[in-house]
Amino acid sequence: MKPKLAIAPGSSLAYKTGDWRTQQPRYRDKWPPCSQTCPASEDIQAWLALASDGKWQAAWRKLTERNPFPATMGRICYHPCESPCNRNHLDSAVNIHGMERYLGDLAINNGWQHEVIADQFQSQKIAVMGAGPAGLSCAFQLARHGYSVTIFDAQAEPGGTLRSGVPDYRLPKNVLVKEIEAIIALGIELRLNTRVGVDISETQLRDEFDAIFLAIGTQQPRIHQSNDSSIHNVMSGINFLYRLNYGEPMTLPSQVAVIGGGNTAIDVARCARRLGAAVTLLCPQDPHSSHRRQLGTEMPASLREVIEAEAEGVHIRYRVAVSRLVRSSKHLSGIEIARVDQVFDHQGDFNPVLFEGTEEFVAAGLVIFAIGQEADWHGLEVLSQANELEGVWIGGDAAAQPKLAAAAVGSGYTSAMQIMTTFEDEPLLHDEYKKAHITYKQMQLHYYPKQRRNEASVIEERLEGFDEVVKGLSSDAALHEANRCLSCGVCFECDNCWHFCPDAAVIKQTEKYEIDYDYCKGCGICANECPCGHIDMEPVVE
Amino acid sequence: MDKRDSFRHNILTSGHRACSGCGEAMAARMVTDLIGPDAIYINATGCLQVFTTHNQQSAWQAPWVHSVFANAAAVASGVEAALRASGKNTPVVVQAGDGGTFDIGLQCLSGMIERGHDILFVCYDNEAYMNTGVQRSSSTPHGVRTTTSPPGRLSQGKHHLKKDVISIMAAHHMPYAATATVAYFPDLKVKVEKAMGIKGPCFLQVLSPCPLGWQHDSALSVSVSRLAVETGLFPLIELEYGELTGVMRLSEQKPVEDYLRPQGRFNHLFASKEGLKEIRHLQALADARIHRYGLLQGESGWDSEQVLQVDRHGHNSYRKTAELDQ
Repeated sequence: MKPKLAIAPGSSLAYKTGDWRTQQPRYRDKWPPCSQTCPASEDIQAWLALASDGKWQAAWRKLTERNPFPATMGRICYHPCESPCNRNHLDSAVNIHGMERYLGDLAINNGWQHEVIADQFQSQKIAVMGAGPAGLSCAFQLARHGYSVTIFDAQAEPGGTLRSGVPDYRLPKNVLVKEIEAIIALGIELRLNTRVGVDISETQLRDEFDAIFLAIGTQQPRIHQSNDSSIHNVMSGINFLYRLNYGEPMTLPSQVAVIGGGNTAIDVARCARRLGAAVTLLCPQDPHSSHRRQLGTEMPASLREVIEAEAEGVHIRYRVAVSRLVRSSKHLSGIEIARVDQVFDHQGDFNPVLFEGTEEFVAAGLVIFAIGQEADWHGLEVLSQANELEGVWIGGDAAAQPKLAAAAVGSGYTSAMQIMTTFEDEPLLHDEYKKAHITYKQMQLHYYPKQRRNEASVIEERLEGFDEVVKGLSSDAALHEANRCLSCGVCFECDNCWHFCPDAAVIKQTEKYEIDYDYCKGCGICANECPCGHIDMEPVVE
Repeated sequence: MDKRDSFRHNILTSGHRACSGCGEAMAARMVTDLIGPDAIYINATGCLQVFTTHNQQSAWQAPWVHSVFANAAAVASGVEAALRASGKNTPVVVQAGDGGTFDIGLQCLSGMIERGHDILFVCYDNEAYMNTGVQRSSSTPHGVRTTTSPPGRLSQGKHHLKKDVISIMAAHHMPYAATATVAYFPDLKVKVEKAMGIKGPCFLQVLSPCPLGWQHDSALSVSVSRLAVETGLFPLIELEYGELTGVMRLSEQKPVEDYLRPQGRFNHLFASKEGLKEIRHLQALADARIHRYGLLQGESGWDSEQVLQVDRHGHNSYRKTAELDQ
């Protein structure tokens, strides 16, 4: 029997609701605050995401795209990445440096090798002056891209300040050696014990190489005005650390005074404690977060290091400087200190002004000045005046005020990219999304579980020797910690946009999602409920 | 048929005419996708029916029947009885708004439960007659402005209280009655799956924000439904044979102002002394519900903070929990 009434409804899909909208969502990666502050511009979110999936080697490869020293930097970097971590607004920052170290150690223990990413070898040759973090980082990038690189260094071992200036309790030498070996294994030629102007001339360098990268660091200690070379028992901080790091046996007097407020001063003080001396650190600046900070500057040393130093018995005096050295005959009996008014003069040079009548005596058999250092341009007088157009780049500490080692790594990376650009006539890779920053205010933190930060343990017996103080994370803790990353601004496929779209206009793909703009009405729910702030709402332009 | 998405059916698919940011469209898509295409859906008159079946275009990708306003539960009873008589056990699901549940459809619903039909009745509660232009229903909460409960000299919006429909349902001594809302998808999933596993009448009240009637930004539909729970105004509970068997605890109680502020329908309360008194009244109602259901007591676990948490790579959401466990 034929039905009397035949109804064949069509599908609502024929009606495109997309033209209702006045604004529309757009998936857009952002550049998280950790990476913004990382001096080496590591894509921290990306390598943590790989680690959280247990893809450890891929994570290490992602990390080393920018920084070939994860085991080293994970130990010594003062991790400025962690203070702006958006997770601080939920519970506490992700232990990024602990994760970096974990990946670096994993690579060393498993013997993972770096890979050349270029299809073919390039003809150009580049000379890198200085085998420190900047030079090695630059050479690493160039070698990965198929260029032939030669590194020159005046010292007998590579590593620069990492080798000569960082104490064993923060960075065991074998860790640094392994990471440098892995870099050199890319086919980099390393010429040690070679000083420009003595063993090779500037002209030779210009003739032999297409580009030169100067990363000679700052090996010249700044001299204090009261420094009297006729007195024994006065030393510079970097010289003290150099001798210690190259294994020279040292005996210290029972009382040592260290002058300075930077990280070198703290390193020197902690080393001197380990050699059995009572140490007074005389810092011209104010303590961290002091209410009197407006009077001067905060001490530049890392707060963490200051806390560790005090825990190890370093006695710190703030806002004091040396007025003169006090000697009896040829020996030093101590120093006279006075309270500081200002630390830097009008030209911005380090020149403390002392208050009359505040002098006091501090007994010390040895004074170590750690008040800064400069680049030593001997032998490079001509090259140091050249510029990029002439094929000469300057990077690392030598290019600016001494900064973090990670900044030197970043400077090496940037220079390498610039050098390659001049060879390839291609513009530097610009990641547009890196301009889009993200703060916790654009995120929905209530979608994340509160989880305690995994902190590495610290050894108890510290002053017995130079054993590494901070231990590494366990594998369980590392996996957990990687999962704590909020993935700020970068989709982690939580499904929220897909669930909450009232118009079924978000289509889930095998990876990520697609918006079907035929039907999206532009309500903005997806953007509002995206935990990580990956979705932007933008006006519809006719 | 819409096969754009390989991870769910989209039983309520795109092209429907719901307002931008519609909480009911969101809720109905979630619920029907959790149940699947092998069910018969009976829809009472209301927003959902109107906006999904416009101009002979259906947004439904499963068998779907429109009844009149009052008799959805009665139509479903007949469908279920016919299926039973022909030896089939296709699930039958009723969808209705608060008008078709609290007011007009209450009698048929009560009869359906009393006769013990194996039907899930889902009420998408948007707290007024939105489809006809925001008139008050018995679900409209105290103090709300609608076109038929305007604030003025004599009252601050609706004077009467929101009908406690879940208690009425539970009083039928029925197998399962529960409340849910769109902001807590994992909670909704547990409840839909539980109801579908029970033989006999089940009732689900899903709070579904309405940007038009509640007068909030269309982007805030999920946030507002979350705040309804977090303030204690809309407790998420389960009742089996009249007994309270489950509550979603609150990790913390938020003040009702957090919920009222984004919604224009409560705006007038912030403008006068009498209004502020009604806000205190609403706070007292929230406190009373929290006390009644013990929302701040006991150990946490299934609480308002934990259920919200998202996972990297999602939850495999629309696959049945039993399949995921295997």
